[in-house]
Amino acid sequence: MPHYISLIFIFIAGIIGFYVFSYDTNFQIGVAFALASAYVSWGIIHHTIHKDICLAIVIEYITVAILGMVITLSLVYRI
Amino acid sequence: MQFVEKLIHFLVPRESNNHKAKILHSSSLIIIASFLILFQIGLNSLSKISPSILGYASNISIQEVVNLTNQKRTEAGLSALSLNQELSAAAYTKAKDMIDKDYWAHTAPDGTEPWKFFGDFGYKYRYAGENLARDFSNASSAVNAWMNSPTHRENILNPKYKEIGIGVTEGDLAGSDTTVIVQFFGATYADKVVQPLAGATTELPEVQLATTQPTAVPIAVSVIEPQVQAQVLISPFTTTRNISLFVVGLLLLVFVIDAILVSKRRITRVAGRTFAHVAFLGMILSIILILKAGNIL
Repeated sequence: MPHYISLIFIFIAGIIGFYVFSYDTNFQIGVAFALASAYVSWGIIHHTIHKDICLAIVIEYITVAILGMVITLSLVYRI
Repeated sequence: MQFVEKLIHFLVPRESNNHKAKILHSSSLIIIASFLILFQIGLNSLSKISPSILGYASNISIQEVVNLTNQKRTEAGLSALSLNQELSAAAYTKAKDMIDKDYWAHTAPDGTEPWKFFGDFGYKYRYAGENLARDFSNASSAVNAWMNSPTHRENILNPKYKEIGIGVTEGDLAGSDTTVIVQFFGATYADKVVQPLAGATTELPEVQLATTQPTAVPIAVSVIEPQVQAQVLISPFTTTRNISLFVVGLLLLVFVIDAILVSKRRITRVAGRTFAHVAFLGMILSIILILKAGNIL
């Protein structure tokens, strides 16, 4: 459970970052990269602690993060 | 029937998809991401093939921008700015210059600074400032975006400025039909010498943001209001936003259905945490909803 709290905290910080710095495109791009990296890192750490880490799981987190990045950046660059 | 089978295979976990909806497999997610990238490339290509299709149709009133700016100043306890026709003509010329030379910056690619436009129209400034906005659907959202940015807000709420000029024009900027707003702020030397005091020493001229330019002979000016476009345009931002909402919404729905069915059927599988994926996509959904069209500089 504490793992999920840290994850939610990271995501809330990301949403606030996007909202507060809505005028700063470069900052938003940086936040998008940071959130995707934090999400993949969280997944690896969480599954390592639970001793069920494997390549398929790492790839799953990376693909979800890539999809999220593509969606976010395609919008940020269209602003 | 075959279509329904395929749809279930894509959206519902069962034996045929190894108890995980096919759309949630890493390979499918990469395919979706690739399609989204290809769509963006296609959208950019469309602007080259048919430049008049993409754009941001909007109707920005100069007076509304002035009123909203003055409203913000009044709320901050500052005096209202008066609309100066020379400044407006200079701002309009700057906006046209950006469209004609296809750039989006305070300084033109040939090195022309915004202050040159002040001088071209005979505006002998002591203080000068510039705010730029593009792709906003109305004046209110543009002024709000400026107010949310500390540097632009500083310009709007600068007590040294006495006059304002607004230039709005439409045209093709980097392949998209765009509405550009140029907001010029200024104060002349005359503003400073309005209340001469006997025996007061003359202050040295203070020039903020730019150096003083030699004053040119004032040119007869006219502020041109933008024409409302009648044609229907495809907004690249709105189209991207709608597609993103659909993709994220669909994935969230399938993830939730997947989690419920897997839990109900007590299936053990090697996979990431569904809650983490749902939380991540929920955050992406929030970001999509937060992001608004329009760019300021």
